[in-house]
Formats: sequence, structure tokens, C-alpha cells
Amino acid sequence: MVEFKGVSYTYPTGQHALNRVNLKIDDGEFAFVVGANGAGKSTLIKLILREITATEGDVIVNGFDLSKIKQRKIPKLRRTIGVVFQDFRLIPNLTVYDNVAFALRVIDAPTRYIRTRVPYVISLVGLTNKAKSYPNDLSGGEQQRVALARALVNDPQLIIADEPTGNVDPARSFEIVDLLKAINACGTTVMMVTHQHELVKYFGGRIININSGTIAFDEVIGGADESQQL
Amino acid sequence: MRVSSFKYLVKQGFAGLWYNRINSFASLCVVTISLMMVGISVLLSMNINRMIGSIESRNEVIVVISDNAPENNVNLLGEELAKNPNVSEVNFHSRDEAWQDLLSTFSEEELQDFRYITENPLPDCYRIRVKDIDELSKTVSQISTLEAVDSVQSPDDFASILVGIRNVTTLLFTAVIIALLVVCFIIISNTTKTSVYARRREINIMRYVGASKPFIEIPFFVEGLIIGILSAAISFGITWFAYHEVFSMFSTDVSMLSIFGFKALIPFDEIAVKTAVAYLVVGVLLSSLGTVIAARKHLKV
Repeated sequence: MVEFKGVSYTYPTGQHALNRVNLKIDDGEFAFVVGANGAGKSTLIKLILREITATEGDVIVNGFDLSKIKQRKIPKLRRTIGVVFQDFRLIPNLTVYDNVAFALRVIDAPTRYIRTRVPYVISLVGLTNKAKSYPNDLSGGEQQRVALARALVNDPQLIIADEPTGNVDPARSFEIVDLLKAINACGTTVMMVTHQHELVKYFGGRIININSGTIAFDEVIGGADESQQL
Repeated sequence: MRVSSFKYLVKQGFAGLWYNRINSFASLCVVTISLMMVGISVLLSMNINRMIGSIESRNEVIVVISDNAPENNVNLLGEELAKNPNVSEVNFHSRDEAWQDLLSTFSEEELQDFRYITENPLPDCYRIRVKDIDELSKTVSQISTLEAVDSVQSPDDFASILVGIRNVTTLLFTAVIIALLVVCFIIISNTTKTSVYARRREINIMRYVGASKPFIEIPFFVEGLIIGILSAAISFGITWFAYHEVFSMFSTDVSMLSIFGFKALIPFDEIAVKTAVAYLVVGVLLSSLGTVIAARKHLKV
């Protein structure tokens, strides 16, 4: 669950990025976040990941109050969130398997668990036969699915996808959103930031539009593909 | 932490070292040089102290008594000398004894040259030993002012040279070591910076997936630890070799022997373990602390 209560954020440069934002995304929801460049979408994500702290108001994520959270508890918060980026951020000298396993290794997970969990998650994103490939040998869509597998591997309550389809060719974009929808269907909250209106129109659901640091629009719309509506 | 995680982190440390090998090598060199400078200065001052000690132990100051001094004054002088805080031993040496001692150092043939000397030309004297050679010149000047003293002869020149060498080298080495430590920290910091940069992708992902701070920092600490251990080993090897060379020079060269005696230098075996432990502790502390401080500075976890 993500909750913003009267949240404002001003960058040290004096730029006001968010202005008294109120927002609540419940557990199990799927929300598109749209808005022009510089509207405050990235600030929103940084606040949720506690890379920055709100200058005003409260941010509550998966039960953590981020204005009061202790520095050493931040890793605990982040373990409840999976993040996917536009640029994938895979490690080029690790195989698909190792890229996904990396996320578990660095949080001190048992080896036995890694050995069973990683192949399972890779199979969920449909890349079992590419497990031994390196990221540079994969297409954009495939790389993003690896990134998604890595975000999923420690079973987060919330997935944040920051323009996950930005570097993926349009036909494959739908597959990525389909995957996110499937993940959401299993109970994981998904927040997807995007520029691609055709995706939003196609899939529908809750749309949060941010404009100049405030929420301009927050409603549920019907999509073209009604079968995706749950 | 799990054993598997521990192994993983150690492996990452080695990987980072290799990936960043030119900078790691620079760190290794500067830590090794610093260690050796510390080691050389400590060993040098230990050995100079020992030389001073050995000169000190046989260091006699001869207080020559005025020819015409009354016997009473001579006895009084003996008591005065014994009262001096820096004097450990006072022995009266009569002119006859001195003469016999002198003659006994010559061979029969050489003694022929002494035939014409009918009168003993030597004076009575006190032979004293000083406790602290650093205070020698002060003690000598104090004694010179006493009544019935003709002159004071002390072989303090060499000792004062040694004291001088020791003081100058201590000062010099301290300055050089401080400068080297600063250079060490700068180079280690720079190495760590490039290491952080080389691993920025991994670190970034580690942060997002919720790796704890120690997990992110430990590989850097391992890098520092390895550099420290390697530097200590190399420094120890070089020191060992160099010390053996110098030691054999001192114990085979006749002129060195005549000045310093057989036990002028401390045999390396006596100090090998101490040196190794000191190198290891200083090397590991220096490089691992350096990397951790630098990693904390450059990593925003």
C-alpha cells in the first residue's frame, strides 16, 4: 500500500516538484501514473523508494512511515518493493540467471532457496531457455522481462515500473504490461509510470495524471481490452 | 550472515581487486612503501639505541687529577663524583697503575723505546661511568668545574654523533611517514572511488533490492584487507632481505666490528615475529580503514 498525505517536495535547488499531493494506492491495485516530463512522476517514485524524504507531509509505504524510518531500516522497506526501470539496469557480465539471483544473494538469502526460486521466476517471465544468455544477447523486451524477474524474485508487495516499455518496441510493450497485469492478478500491487497513451487506453484501469506537481486526474477508466479488467 | 553470503562477499572483494588492478597496484605500492619506511625507521632507531647502549656500557670518562692536588682534595673529589646523579661508578686509578697498564700493552721490543723515560709521566685519575649518555656533555662540564680536576677526557664524540643521527632520523622519518600516510589515504581513497565507479551498476541494484549497508561495504573492506595483507608480506620480505645484508656487513667487516663489537646489531630472528605482526597490523588497519572511510564517502547507501 502506498499513501501520500499532503506531501510536498522541494529540491535543494528550490524547484518545487510536488505540491500537497494526496494519493492512496491500496494493496492489490494496478495504477498507471501518467504526466508530462518534469511533472513530478520521478519525484513520486524517489519518495516511495525513500531516496529522498518529503519536505512536508507523510509518505507511508507497505506499513513503513517514511518520514520516521531509521536509516538502517531502509533496506527492509526496499525488500518489499520491486523496481523496474526504462533502461533495464541489468549487469552485462552476468547471465540472466545470475542477474536474477543477484537480487537474492545481496539480501543474504539461503543458497538452497536461490536455487529453486530463481528458475521459477525466470519461467514466470517465459525466459527459461535464455537463462544462460547474457543481457546484450537479448532483445529489449526480453531484457525488460529479466528486469521484471529480478524485481519479482524476492516476492515484493509492490512493483514500481518506471516507464518499463520506453525502450521496448511497441508490439512487445503490450507483453510487458500483460506480464505486469498477471503479476497484479496474483495480489501484488503494481504502479506503472508511462508516457504511452495507447497502452493506457488499451488496458484501462486506474489512471493517475500528475501535472506540475499536483494530481490533475485520478479515475478508473474502461480499457479497449475489457478482458484484462478484473 | 550466512557462510554462502560470506564466501560471495569475499569473492566480490577479489573480483573488485582484479577489475581495478592498476589502482589496486598503486595502493599496494604506496602501502608497502609506507610500511617499509615505518619499519626501517623503527629498526634503525632500535639498532642505534643498541649501539649507543653498547658504547654506553663501556663508556668510561677519565677525570684527570691535578698533579699537585693534596690527598685530601683528591678524596673529596671522589665523593663529589659519586654524588653526581649521572655517575654510576667511580674508580680511583693511581698513576702507577696507569703506567703499568700502559706498559703492559706493548711488546718487549717496543718497550725498548721506553728505556729513557725514567719518571712516570701519567697523572692520577678517576675512571667513572655515566648512566645516561645523552647527558654526557652536561656531566662532563659539571665535573670540569670541580676542584682538583685537571681535565676530563670522554670518548663522547662518537656517542654524540649517534645520538644526533638517531634524533635526526627520528625526526626525518616521522615527517616522511606522516607525508606517506597522507599519500596513502589519498591513493586508497582514489582506488576505492574507481572501484565504486566500476561497480556502480551492481551497487545501484543492490540499493534498490534492499541490500544492507554492510553487504554493500564488505567487498570494499575485503579489497582493503587483501591489499593490507599483501603489502605486509612484501614489506616483510624486503625488510628481511635488506636486514640480512646489512647485518652480515656489520658482522664481517673488521672496522665495523672494532667500533661496534660483535653484538652491535639485533639479529633479525629476535625481532622477525614482532616485525611481521607490526607490519600486518599496520598494513591491514591502514588499507582497510582507508577503503572503508573512502567507500562510506563515495557510497550513498
